Amino acid sequence: MDFKHHLRGETKFTGLLVILFFFALWEFLSRQGIIYTAYFPPVTTIVEAFVRETFLGDRELVTHVGFTLYRAFAGYLFGILIGTSLGTVTGIWRSLYQTLEPTIEILRPMPSVAIIPIAILFMGMGSRLNIFIIAWAATWPIFVNTLDGVRGVDLTLVNTARTFQLPRRAIIRKVMIPSALPYIISGYRISLGTALVVVVVTEMVVSGSGLGFYIMNTSQSFRIPEMFAGMLMIAIVGYLLNTLFVRLDNHFMAWHKRLTKKEAV
Amino acid sequence: METTRGQTKSRGLRGWKGAIFLLCLIGLWEMVARLHLVSALYFPPMSKNMGVFYRLTVDGTLPLQVLLSFGRMFGGYFLAIALMVPLGLAMGLFRFCFNTFEPLVESFRPLCPPAIIPVVMLFLGIGDSMKMFVVFYACSFPILLNTIDGVRNVDVVLVNTARTFGLSRLAIIRKVVLPAASPQIMSGLRISLPISLIVVIVSEMIGSTNGIGHFILLNQRTFNVPETYAGVIMVAMVGYLLNRLFLGFDRRFMHWHRGWSAEQAG
Repeated sequence: MDFKHHLRGETKFTGLLVILFFFALWEFLSRQGIIYTAYFPPVTTIVEAFVRETFLGDRELVTHVGFTLYRAFAGYLFGILIGTSLGTVTGIWRSLYQTLEPTIEILRPMPSVAIIPIAILFMGMGSRLNIFIIAWAATWPIFVNTLDGVRGVDLTLVNTARTFQLPRRAIIRKVMIPSALPYIISGYRISLGTALVVVVVTEMVVSGSGLGFYIMNTSQSFRIPEMFAGMLMIAIVGYLLNTLFVRLDNHFMAWHKRLTKKEAV
Repeated sequence: METTRGQTKSRGLRGWKGAIFLLCLIGLWEMVARLHLVSALYFPPMSKNMGVFYRLTVDGTLPLQVLLSFGRMFGGYFLAIALMVPLGLAMGLFRFCFNTFEPLVESFRPLCPPAIIPVVMLFLGIGDSMKMFVVFYACSFPILLNTIDGVRNVDVVLVNTARTFGLSRLAIIRKVVLPAASPQIMSGLRISLPISLIVVIVSEMIGSTNGIGHFILLNQRTFNVPETYAGVIMVAMVGYLLNRLFLGFDRRFMHWHRGWSAEQAG
């Protein structure tokens, strides 16, 4: 443990240097015209574009971030609802799983983006489309993880609960779900990343708003610094959401981490 | 004993029940479309979609598009393997390498793959190299991070034992570190395979003149709806087969690991 902490501190320092060097090199090469300035504007120009689009004037980037976040979250929530409930139900009732299995096994490996064109036919180009595709993509990892988690519940736990005469519903609520929770959460984490990718994709392919649209639009009208600013924003959103998730996970799943640590000792 | 018998019994039933459910769904689809409950413009009967799918498969249109996509996809995928597995090994083995590259990796990781498409299009146009690069970028992270993790988690006892027997550094890497890390490296490869399929379809939808992604979107835009469905059916089949193929591959080449760990556990 100590060793790892030590390593992390060291990484932060040299790492910062490497990143600074990378961006300084970019700035220099671009200013000198050694790399094509029109395509690779200096970092300072990009940052300036980012600040301008975020904080000044009509704050275009902020509007688009709003659209992107709204769609991503709405789709993600649907994915959580559908994936968790479907996974729990099929995990508990084996015969339901057997009935649904072939259908699920056909739909699950299908790349979510391939259904965009068909979804356009049904839903047009509005936010509903983005939300549907995101929900579709986010559902599967959560479903698979929930199913695994529920099925992997220690039978001793279930039998103990049965011995204590807990009704079926209480067993599900008090034994199965808590014990499957770590799996379920890891499904949520995978799906969060998926949701972010898919929101950008759907916006690039169909939408007239959102960060995906913004970077496509700016690149097609050769506003290259703005395009990079949009990418920077996507990266920041991705980073912040991931960090937020880890924080929430540490907070709410602390009981689980304590438990497993104790068991390991 | 009883449980095993129950399982074999239900296994016979399982495929049966599932197949019936699937057939019912398709039948429902057919009925809804034939009765025009949903506009036939969006929702052609499944029999028609399958007919178009059959025609386009036999005349070579769909297989050709899939082959084009496969070329780009595997190009990027194998490029990512060829570069990222060695880099991951180096980063896992040498602290210096890790310290140098980790921050760069971490600062690019939150940038999701499709977001780099516009930039890559500026540099590489809309040709094959653009798609290969985007696939390469998308696959790099899972492969790299899994390799680093795998190498770092190699049991120190194994390495020290090899050292005691006087193996050279290279031999230790080849005979101890690589095999011990390979399950996790394989899991990186497995994760990135479906990602590569998604990314190649996306980049074909955004900037391309052929490939399965372009085929689907073009047919939707020109309202050739059964053709769109045929393309989606093709993609679903490809996704399913890729998954199966990799599982088979994994079972064949990694079964020593499974056998070994089962022995440990048992």
